[in-house]
Amino acid sequence: MEPVLSVRHLTKRFAGLTALSDVSFDLGRGEILGLIGPNGAGKTTLVNLISGAFRASEGDLRFEGAPIGALPSHRRAKLGIGRTFQIMRPFPGLSVLDNVAVGALFGTGGGHRQLAIARELAHQKLEFVGLAHRADRPAEALGGPDRKRLELAKALAMNPRLLLLDEVMAGLNLAELEAVFAIVRKVRDEGVSVLVIEHVMKAIRSLSDRLLVLHHGEKIAEGKPQQVLSDPTVIEAYLGRRRAAHEGAGT
Amino acid sequence: MKRPLARAGIVAAFVVLAGIPWIASPSIVQFGINMLLLAALAQGWNIIGGYTGYASFGNSVFYGLGSYGTAIAMLRWHLPFGIGLALGTVIAVIFAALFGRAILRLRGHYFAICTLGLAEVMTAIVSNLEITGRNTGLVLPLLRGDVLFYELSLALVVVATLIVAWIAHSRFGYGLIAIRENEEAAAAMGVDTTRYKVLAFSLSAAISALAGGIHAYWITFIDPVSAFDIGLNVKMIIVTVFGGPGSILGPVLGAFVLSGISEVLSTEISTVAGLFFGAVIVVAVVFMPRGVADLIRRFDKYRWRYFAENVRANRL
Repeated sequence: MEPVLSVRHLTKRFAGLTALSDVSFDLGRGEILGLIGPNGAGKTTLVNLISGAFRASEGDLRFEGAPIGALPSHRRAKLGIGRTFQIMRPFPGLSVLDNVAVGALFGTGGGHRQLAIARELAHQKLEFVGLAHRADRPAEALGGPDRKRLELAKALAMNPRLLLLDEVMAGLNLAELEAVFAIVRKVRDEGVSVLVIEHVMKAIRSLSDRLLVLHHGEKIAEGKPQQVLSDPTVIEAYLGRRRAAHEGAGT
Repeated sequence: MKRPLARAGIVAAFVVLAGIPWIASPSIVQFGINMLLLAALAQGWNIIGGYTGYASFGNSVFYGLGSYGTAIAMLRWHLPFGIGLALGTVIAVIFAALFGRAILRLRGHYFAICTLGLAEVMTAIVSNLEITGRNTGLVLPLLRGDVLFYELSLALVVVATLIVAWIAHSRFGYGLIAIRENEEAAAAMGVDTTRYKVLAFSLSAAISALAGGIHAYWITFIDPVSAFDIGLNVKMIIVTVFGGPGSILGPVLGAFVLSGISEVLSTEISTVAGLFFGAVIVVAVVFMPRGVADLIRRFDKYRWRYFAENVRANRL
C-alpha cells in the first residue's frame, strides 16, 4: 500500500548548523510512528518540515503520493496535515470553543464554511478530548493539561489524515496520559496516520506501532519498539554511555 | 436573550442620529460630520489593526488617496462626485493590495514603521505632481449641503459597522483573529495568511478612502500635508483602542465619546484642553484597557470591581 507520508533524504541546515541530515522513512495509513531522541536531536525540526513551517534544504516530501515540499503551511493543512505545537499556541483572545472552531473552519479541504456547523463540530471535538465543560472559557484561562487537550482538539477539528503530535503528553500524570492514549488510538482507528514526538518513554513504547530514533539530526534506528529500545546504539544515544553499560551488565 | 434588545437600541440610536441634522444648529452638524467620519475611519482601522492585529499607520495614506482621487476626478476630468469617490476608493484598494503583499510580511513594529514611511513618501510624491496641484493643493467645487454630507458620513459608518459585524461572525473573521492571535498556528491550521491579510488591508483601505473622499468634497480644499496627515491615523488608533479594538461597536463608541470629550474640553478650557484630553486617554488605558465595548459587556457582572481587576491584571 502507498504510504501516507514518504520522507526521502530530508536535510535542514540553519546557517551552517545541520539540524536534520539525510532522514528517510515512510508512514502508512492508520499507523502510529513514535519519534524519539535526545534534546536537540531534530525532532521538532522534522515536524516543522512536514507541516511546512520550515522549508527543507534538501530532500523529498510526499503526502499521499504528491510532492508537498514546496507548498506553504496552509496548503499542506488543506491537504490534510494537522499538527500540534510543543510550545502550546492557543488563540488567547478566543474562547476554547472558538479556538477549536478555527480548525473546523479551515483545515482539510478548506474546512466548513458555515460558522454554526464549525462550532458544532468543535463542540464534538471538545467532548472527545474531555474539554467540553470549558468550552466557553477564554483559552488563556486554561491550565497546563487542559491546554494540551485544547491543542489536540484544534488539530483534530481540522479532520486531518496525518496528525503530527509534538509532545502533547509531556507533563501529564498517569491518568491523563491514559486518556490521551485512548484518544490517539481512537483517531488512528478512524484511519488517521499519527507521527508522535514524546519524551515519556513508557508512553511512546506502548502507543507506537513503530519507532524512529533521531540523534544529532540523523536517523540511528527504526523498527518495532521492543527491538529499537534494546538496540545498543539507541540506548547509548538516548540514555548515555553509563546507562548503556549498566543495562548490558544487568541483563 | 439580550441580543434583540441591543439590536433595537442600536437601530433607535441610528434613527436619532439620522434625524439630528434636520433640527440641530449648523455647528452641531459640522461637529457631527467630523465625529462620524472619525468613527468610519476607526472602524476601517479596526479591521486591520483590531481584528488582524497589524498596527497600520498607512490608513491615512488611503484616506489621502481617496481625497485626491475624488478631487482629481471632479476637477480635472469633470466627473460627478459619486464616480470620483469610487475612483479614489479603487486607487486606494489597488495601492493597499500591491503594497500589502510586500509589507504585510513584516510583523509588529516593523510593519508599523514601514507604513509610517509610506505616508511620508506619499506626501512627497503628491507635493511634486502637476495633476495633484503640487503643494498648493486642490480646491473642489463648493456644495452647500452639510445635511447631505452628514447623512453620507452616517451611511459610511453604518456600512463599515455592518462589514465589521459580518467579519466578526464569519470564517473570514475567524481567520483574521487567528492571524492576530498567532500567525504561525493560523497557517498550520490552514489559514492562507497572506491572502487574508491583504484582503483585510484592502477592506480597511476602502473605508478610509471613502471617508477621505467625502471629507474632501465637504471641506472643498485639500493639500498634501492635511490629506496624508499621520495625526489622523494616530487619532484612528486612539479612538479604536479607547472604544475596544476587535469589537463591532467599540470604534464607533470610541469616536463618539472621545469627540464629545474633546469638543467640551476645547470650548470650556481651550488652552489646556490637550493636556486634559491626554489625561483622559491615560486613565482609560489604565482602567479599561479593552475599551468601552468590553466595559459595557462586563460591567453588569463585575460592577466597580471591573476597574480594579484591570489594574491588577496588568500589574500597574
